[in-house]
Amino acid sequence: MAATEKSTKEKLLCVLDDLEVLSRELIELLALSRSQKVSQPGEENQILELLIQKDGEFQELMKVAFSQGKVHQEMQLLEKEVEKRDSDIQQLQKQLKEAEHILATAVYQAKEKLKSIDKARKGSISSEELIKYAHRISASNAVCAPLTWVPGDPRRPYPTDLEMRSGLLGQMSNLPTNGVNGHLPGDALAAGRLPDVLAPQYPWQSNDISMNMLPPNHSNDFLMESLGPNKENEDDVEVMSTDSSSSSSDSD
Amino acid sequence: MATGSQPRASEEPEEEEEEEEEAVTEEEEDCTFLPLVHDIIKCMDKDSQDVYQELNELKSKFQSMRKQINNMAGIELSPEQQQQHLQSLRVQVQTKNELLQKYKSLCMFEIPKD
Repeated sequence: MAATEKSTKEKLLCVLDDLEVLSRELIELLALSRSQKVSQPGEENQILELLIQKDGEFQELMKVAFSQGKVHQEMQLLEKEVEKRDSDIQQLQKQLKEAEHILATAVYQAKEKLKSIDKARKGSISSEELIKYAHRISASNAVCAPLTWVPGDPRRPYPTDLEMRSGLLGQMSNLPTNGVNGHLPGDALAAGRLPDVLAPQYPWQSNDISMNMLPPNHSNDFLMESLGPNKENEDDVEVMSTDSSSSSSDSD
Repeated sequence: MATGSQPRASEEPEEEEEEEEEAVTEEEEDCTFLPLVHDIIKCMDKDSQDVYQELNELKSKFQSMRKQINNMAGIELSPEQQQQHLQSLRVQVQTKNELLQKYKSLCMFEIPKD
């Protein structure tokens, strides 16, 4: 079993040693027989036969060794091919990893978009409703005064006192929704219910709309700056405050 | 001329093969020690002084043969082990080829269904 696992190189060297020993023995034997004139043909023939046998064995082993050399070349080519395939596979794996990363990012973004789309669908508002609401706002003269408006007209070009107080701005400034019966200081001033000290600072003809829109703790300078120098604004405010007075008179 | 050159081109590989075969047979023939031993015996029979030269030739041939064997590639294994190694390398190349082919033929845009 161990002999079969012996490498060709070991076998060759072993047989070569045998050949060397046998050839030496043969030559020594022949030289001895020549010098002593005594021939021992049996032993000489035996060694010669062994030599021939070992020589044949050596030649066979050399053939095997040459064929193994060719196989070795083929194996080297295959090893190079394996290395090349390994580098190709590694390169491909690297590219696949990069692609996976890009795709994972894209999938995440797409999922986020789908979530937002679902959210938008759940809370969707039909365009008809939006248009209806726009009509409602414009019909209530919340954004501009009616063209045919004159002082004393009950239709008003801005949200009413109660609407302002119930809105977000009113809630932020904690305006009381009761107690003044839905009237603003301007209205109260017009009705003569506010202290006299406020009267010169907020003459209702010019600042009533500002008082309606802003919380009570706002500075007066801002109001004067934003509304004071503009003549058109003054006119508007006068016209609207007139309306306010009319509303206050209405509410009264 | 052209017709004459065509058969030559086809003969060239055969000539190369023949040369290779001749080189191999020369190498194989050169592996035998019997001619040298035979020459030595002849010289001894003739009582020739060339016997020492022949003996030196035999000795140097053994040395060169040892050197050649030590330098030969691929004989560190037995033929059976070498064949097994060769087979495993072939399998490796085939497997890696299949793997590469599989990677290249992957459908990159197949969307997994939830």
